[in-house]
Amino acid sequence: MKLLAADLRVLRNLPTTNLGRRTLLSAAIGIGLLAMLTWWFAQAVVTNPQLLARLHRETGGDELRGLLGYGLMACPLVATWLGLALAQRQLFEGQELALWRQAPIASARPAMQVLVRATFLSCCWAAALALPFLSAMLQSRQAPAWAHGLALLTIVGATAPMLATLLAVHIVLVRFFAGRWLRLVFALIGALASVGFSTWLLMTMFARGHERVQDVVAIASLPRQLPWTIDTGAALLAAAARGTIDIQALAGLASWLVITVLVFRVVADLHPRAYERYLTAEPPLWRNHRRWSTSVASTLRKKEFAQVLQQPGALIGFLVFGVLVFALAKEQVMVGGILKVTRVPRDVTHLAVLLTQWFLAVLLVLYAHMGRLVLADSAQWALYACSPASAFAILRGKLTAIFAFMLWPLLLVALTGVWLLDANVTTLAVFVGVALGGTAVAMGVLAVVGTSPALMRPEDSGHTAQGGKNFLGALVLVIAFQLAIVPVSLAIWDQLANEQNHRLLSHGLALQWAPIVVGIALAYGGLMLLLGMWLGSRNLRRLLRAK
Amino acid sequence: MSEPVILTQGLGRQFAGKWAVQDLDLAVMPGEIYGFLGQNGAGKTTTLRLLTGLLQPSAGTLCIDGLDHRTGSRELKQRLGFVPDTPPLYDYLTGRQYVALVASLWNVPRRERDDRSDQLLDRLGLAEHADLLCKGYSHGTRKKIHLVAVLTTAPRVLLLDEPSSGLDPMSNKSLKELLLAESARGTTVFLSTHGLELAEQICHRVGILARGRLRAQGTVAELRHQHAERSLEDVFVAITQAATP
Repeated sequence: MKLLAADLRVLRNLPTTNLGRRTLLSAAIGIGLLAMLTWWFAQAVVTNPQLLARLHRETGGDELRGLLGYGLMACPLVATWLGLALAQRQLFEGQELALWRQAPIASARPAMQVLVRATFLSCCWAAALALPFLSAMLQSRQAPAWAHGLALLTIVGATAPMLATLLAVHIVLVRFFAGRWLRLVFALIGALASVGFSTWLLMTMFARGHERVQDVVAIASLPRQLPWTIDTGAALLAAAARGTIDIQALAGLASWLVITVLVFRVVADLHPRAYERYLTAEPPLWRNHRRWSTSVASTLRKKEFAQVLQQPGALIGFLVFGVLVFALAKEQVMVGGILKVTRVPRDVTHLAVLLTQWFLAVLLVLYAHMGRLVLADSAQWALYACSPASAFAILRGKLTAIFAFMLWPLLLVALTGVWLLDANVTTLAVFVGVALGGTAVAMGVLAVVGTSPALMRPEDSGHTAQGGKNFLGALVLVIAFQLAIVPVSLAIWDQLANEQNHRLLSHGLALQWAPIVVGIALAYGGLMLLLGMWLGSRNLRRLLRAK
Repeated sequence: MSEPVILTQGLGRQFAGKWAVQDLDLAVMPGEIYGFLGQNGAGKTTTLRLLTGLLQPSAGTLCIDGLDHRTGSRELKQRLGFVPDTPPLYDYLTGRQYVALVASLWNVPRRERDDRSDQLLDRLGLAEHADLLCKGYSHGTRKKIHLVAVLTTAPRVLLLDEPSSGLDPMSNKSLKELLLAESARGTTVFLSTHGLELAEQICHRVGILARGRLRAQGTVAELRHQHAERSLEDVFVAITQAATP
């Protein structure tokens, strides 16, 4: 209970500091936004008589159970995501583990505490994604107030067992097979889980209305084929909506919860030994003895590369991003409509598709790369602030590294163009030229936003702020990037539309236009990059100044 | 008579209306090792952060090697080296890569960098760790690697926050020898420490800070003499207790 009390106290203390308030605000904004979107969608479902009638027909009058099951589906997904993405870190790398291992408490207690924390976090996310939907369904049937309380139990029931199972599997595997390869496998699975969950969230929350309705029909029309915890939870809530308690479902859900926790408790006894093996299994990694150059920009560039190449998790992140880009391209996300256009030459369609996919890919990684300018060096900020290196040289070094990293989305999209679209060489060359200009624009925007003292101000401790400002930073970055590419995109689009009005945009005309479009893109990109570097180095100078 | 390398007059810094350091007058001479003693929270780290230029003073003046801190110039930074209590290493760089990064920030030519860093790595027994990722270093090794990085830049003023914490006896001995050698080369060393033994052994003068104010300064012998020949520990306790309301 002492560990639990300590965690609760930490939560209670969070709003008393700036950093804590920002962290809470950031979490509240993210979770609140998801809850709001879920609520809106639920309202759209309950006010759609055709959908309800169809489900009524297909489920033989059991549509509420199906809909509640649909609502609960987010719970095991959240548990899988957090279980895979955070398990390794929380079970074996948490800062408090060393203290807990020394304390005179039961040897299984640290692992149990990790489960409690992970369950709390998962249930917060799961509740944001499920509770508004469940509440809307229950409300639409005038369910008693206690039924809404029961919804929370079903969320825990659909989340905790999956989480406990995943954590237990981690403990067992590390206990018996600890080593570099297992760590790499965990890192890879964790990264895939994070990307998979984000993609699912993106495609679910922002899917078109009719696509989501199809999803609802597919899942809700077969409630009895849903996973057992989901269906039992749905049955319990469906009965609660009628004002009765389904004792069998309640007992089933509660006993499953208790059984998984008990099993986890047994496995948790292996945690101390697994923790020891985790710490000792991996031998230190030797690096080659190559000397770096002495120029600031070049050394910083090498430092950024080394941090990626020497960090398995970061490398895996790049690979996972590749998988994501291919998946998005294969699913024709955002480009399905463009591919259907037949009035313009195929090359132009392909170019539009590639540029759209590149734009989407850049949006996905831009914020992560922005962190390399200031945020990722928060612990080392005092080193930069004390050094006599010029702000411009620091910025140049970091931006050249980021520019190289930003070529990865460009390369990936070009490869999807070859494999999935069968785009020709000219189209690819034009795409690369325009995308290089676009990358330069992104660099310019990044240089300004990523060093903005209003968003990235280092704390008194020398660490840079985490939390609410990051969310704002991401938002500002994305909007600024979009605004920055709008003028040149509009100008080119306007010219092309004019040409299209006067004569049909032929293959020959497109070829004639290609060098002009590439030239404009590169010139505009260069201009934006220079402007961004000028403003960015001014910002950086302010950030490096004494406080 | 040479000029002080570190010269402060009425230096002070406030946080949220409360003085962390106040009315600090210091004059540290070239090649001198100055030990800054004080309880936790006495204002030692704040003073170091003021001297390094990480914090702006709320009051007073500060000159390093004849250069006013207000200029915040790169020339001034070039002359300073700072070893904080928690070394700012990058986990996924090797020790040697980290040293190269710091050296490049301080514009050290390649040959000088390689000669100095190899010598220092050998001296502190770090040669076999230098090509490992910093992630696996102990606290002491992290501290020594950062010290090597800073000394590679050949600072004229070396500022150290708790340099001996986390070091094993052998490393502690090497550290003391290294600091004495730096001092003999003309480097001014300003260190904050809780290790009174370290202060007694290598510091030419010590200053005792309590509740943000410098309560006493002088050589260890002078301080003992002023306080009836007691040990430095007794002097420290007496001065600190006298400052406690």
